[in-house]
Amino acid sequence: MSDGANAHEPDLAVHVEDLTVSYQHKPVLWDIDLDVPPGVLAGIIGPNGAGKSTLIKTILGLIRPAAGHVYIHGRPYREQRARVGYVPQRSSVDWDFPTTALDVVTMGLYGQLGWLRRPGRRHLEQARHALDLVGMLDYGDRQISQLSGGQQQRVFLARALVQDSDVYFLDEPFAGVDATTERAIIDILRELRAGGKTVIAVHHDLQTVRSYFDWLVILNVRSIAQGRVPDVYTAQNLRAAYGGQAALLHSSDPVAGISLERE
Amino acid sequence: MVAAELLLNIPFVIIATGALVGVAASLLGAFLILRRSSMLADAISHSIVFGIVVVWLLTGQQSGPVQIAGAALTGVLTVSLIELLARTRLVKNDAAIGLVFPALFSIGVLLLNLYAQDVHIDTHTVLLGEIGFVWLDSVLLGGVEVPQALLSMAVVTLVNLVFVTLLYKELKLMSFDEGLARTLGYMPGVLFYALLTLTSTTAVAAFDAVGAILFVAFVIVPPSAAYLLTDRLWKMILYGSLISIVSSVAGYYLAVLWNVSIGGTMALTTGGFLLLALLFGPRYGLIAQELRRRGQYSANDRRALVVHLYNHEGSAGQEEENSLPALRGHLHWSSGKVERVLDQAQAGSLVAVEGEQLRLTPAGRSLAREILEPWRKTEGTSPA
Amino acid sequence: MPQLLAFLSDYTIQNVMIGAALLGISSGALGVFAVLRQQSLLGDTLSHATLPGVALGFMVSGSRHLGSIMFGALLSGMAAALLVLILTRRSRLKTDAALGIGLSTFFALGVVLLTRIQQSGNAAQGGLDSFLFGQAAAILRSDLWLMGALTLAALVLLGLLWKEFKLITFDPLFARSLGIPVVLLETVLTLLIALAIVIGLQMVGVVLMAAMVVAPAVAARQWSVRLERMVLLSALIGAGGGIVGALLSATGANLATGPLIVLAISAVVAFSLLLAPQRGLLRTALERRRTAAHLRGSRVLVSLQRLSAQHGDRSYRVEQGMLNAYHRQDTGAGLRELERRGLVRRAPHMPEEGTHWELSDRGHDEAERVLQGLDPGNGTANANSSGSNSASSSSGSKGVHGGG
Repeated sequence: MSDGANAHEPDLAVHVEDLTVSYQHKPVLWDIDLDVPPGVLAGIIGPNGAGKSTLIKTILGLIRPAAGHVYIHGRPYREQRARVGYVPQRSSVDWDFPTTALDVVTMGLYGQLGWLRRPGRRHLEQARHALDLVGMLDYGDRQISQLSGGQQQRVFLARALVQDSDVYFLDEPFAGVDATTERAIIDILRELRAGGKTVIAVHHDLQTVRSYFDWLVILNVRSIAQGRVPDVYTAQNLRAAYGGQAALLHSSDPVAGISLERE
Repeated sequence: MVAAELLLNIPFVIIATGALVGVAASLLGAFLILRRSSMLADAISHSIVFGIVVVWLLTGQQSGPVQIAGAALTGVLTVSLIELLARTRLVKNDAAIGLVFPALFSIGVLLLNLYAQDVHIDTHTVLLGEIGFVWLDSVLLGGVEVPQALLSMAVVTLVNLVFVTLLYKELKLMSFDEGLARTLGYMPGVLFYALLTLTSTTAVAAFDAVGAILFVAFVIVPPSAAYLLTDRLWKMILYGSLISIVSSVAGYYLAVLWNVSIGGTMALTTGGFLLLALLFGPRYGLIAQELRRRGQYSANDRRALVVHLYNHEGSAGQEEENSLPALRGHLHWSSGKVERVLDQAQAGSLVAVEGEQLRLTPAGRSLAREILEPWRKTEGTSPA
Repeated sequence: MPQLLAFLSDYTIQNVMIGAALLGISSGALGVFAVLRQQSLLGDTLSHATLPGVALGFMVSGSRHLGSIMFGALLSGMAAALLVLILTRRSRLKTDAALGIGLSTFFALGVVLLTRIQQSGNAAQGGLDSFLFGQAAAILRSDLWLMGALTLAALVLLGLLWKEFKLITFDPLFARSLGIPVVLLETVLTLLIALAIVIGLQMVGVVLMAAMVVAPAVAARQWSVRLERMVLLSALIGAGGGIVGALLSATGANLATGPLIVLAISAVVAFSLLLAPQRGLLRTALERRRTAAHLRGSRVLVSLQRLSAQHGDRSYRVEQGMLNAYHRQDTGAGLRELERRGLVRRAPHMPEEGTHWELSDRGHDEAERVLQGLDPGNGTANANSSGSNSASSSSGSKGVHGGG
């Protein structure tokens, strides 16, 4: 993992240059430049259809961009797969699949295992440890369809934790989870940051932006603003991002609410 | 008495029967496709074998009103069973379909094996039908001998036509937006069952001619081909019917030529039309799509270029970003692509090249603004 | 007993049983993936679409040679799968229409080719009809070797790629983020499912092979918590149903094999859906009734407690008729349930007629607990980190309010 001479911007956890993505002829992301330093807990916010999920998926190589490139810790994603963990949206899978929570977590190790190798005792131990971290150790043998939404989300998080990565991408980790789980998840994300990891999460709830994140990316088809939360989370930037959708903002939010009412 | 003579003309009777099967099926199939329930037609046409055999065992009748009623019941039974299974949430909808019709079909075939050794509905006819023999059974109607299959197909086609004409608006709403239809009080559930009931009765009427499985082709393929040709529902029904009629004519003569199953070639010909529509459809055909995609890709490339230049205009990194090398280095475009996009952008006077540096023209700048801030709706320059 | 032994050592019977077992194992094991990937009907299309391949294989080899027929069937099945893929990915047609188109046009082509063969007057043509509904008795020992080899190959491949298949079935997006070639593996999986269908064609026939892909898997799902077990059980159910159906057909009165096998397995499906211990409908229904009874009981308990609190009398007696009127329904069942749990007791209230009830001390405690939203009958007392407690108790209390 030495960042050799040909590494590009090795000081940044994520470096995205001029990324343009079009989906079935319709552009979803326009010329995105994105820099996230290591060791931050970053949120990506923006209105519905702003391309937040698409941005994460493109960074992870799940969608091919029309232009631009992505570097993780100075190298293309393809070479850095082992250093990246991913938590997809919980609703993207069928939870009636016949498997246990422990088994789902073990799937996080399949990338390291490679072809033909089966997870052994050591891997199961790692998976149990990850389940313990999210407070789900007792549920390891539970069929995943019997877990609550919040528990399912924690299992997904544990699966990413077991990847033991440097950069984590989470797609709407707080969608449809109970308050206890939301608190548990944000605690774990903070611990990851304290351990020097970089965490990037697509986020929906503007009210919690300032308490959860220290780095923020505001997105609406293009990058509106990015940087430290106090510098970026301003009425002007939110207005630029949410534009016509101002009514969707929480009017109770001190920054967004007041300024938008004034308009 | 030309009509009466025509009815004695065997090729005409066969072709007319095939065409009526196709038209009757296309009328209903259009809505099934739009509602994404095509495979229910597959399920129904398999399971009516069960209904036909049971009714025949109970009443001794192989066709006629009792059989039609039995078919309607079987269709409703099939779909109810599928919905019942899916509603338990133990089985997904597609698996429910795959469980119900094979079971009913199996019972039908076994009953045939047991009780129908010497009757003309053998297992072979069940699958393939025998349209070549439809002229054998005929009834007297007003002193004219009319082939029975042709008569019943004509009645069924008429009923379907009346149903679709009278309830056109409601059926359309049901297929596109069931939720809205429900809110407006159009009872889409009842309507859908009516549609499926007619599908069942059509399948029974067509059974002697084309059998259980080829019928599926007549329901699904012509309206699908039509769907690749038009956006209007009534045109979709019309084109579907026309494709069915032409397929019947062409299928008949191909079958005579090759000495093979007439029903088979008729169904196969509808497939040929689908292939043609898939390739050459004016808007949704593969070739038209490919041409449009190329146009859109190059338009998108031009847009990506102006947005890139706009984003870095006036910024500290402008010298580096808005230059020819940056297009290769940052956008990861090949030299050929850079040349092509720049040529087009200059031709559309969006960008000016000054040595290594790239500058936006006013037109290019307003295009970029329009892309990035569509809600502002400034100068209405259309995209290049 | 000697008769049974003689029967089982019969050459044809042995062939039939081995063939049915191979068919059930391959389609049962691989059908699991079709069902879980919500591609149950792809099996339907694949099996109907093998018909032209069967006919072509026959035409090329000039006889009922199973090897060439299977190869042809596999090719035409995969061609249909490709057509469905192109139609769904590249045209505006949706999956259901694409599946129907693949199924019916390929079948039509098969019919055309079959009638072509019949015109040619080949002596062996009669055997071809058996591929429509299956004919167990027509199976030869040499066919079994071929079926066995293909089954073994399919199972070995399944074993080697087990964890990848599991992952792409459960979460293809995550699989791709790990760098696993999902599209390639999906193609291999589709090929294996087509292979399973081809293996069973001679026993079950093109029309009903679809059921062999779906039914064993659905039945097995009812009894399985893990994919490993589901695949194993599905293979067993497939083999069991296959053997039963094939034996009935081989010995009985000229009954087609395919329908008998399908019905045997459908019976297992019905049994499993109704009676499986965890997911069975019977258990769910009973549980729902128990929860409903429990809720009714809790509501009656709370009204009794309110009345006694209003009257400042811990042993306030309420007539059942009054409770019925209050709840606008018969509370008898609920009261008896509470009585059984020792929370209420019958109390004589002379000279009035009708049953009267009062709360016991435990009933008072229980009512307090229900009112505080900590319903101990609903589960556990450990309110620690697990999110399920908050989730289940919140849904529980929703039920109380909603039911009132």
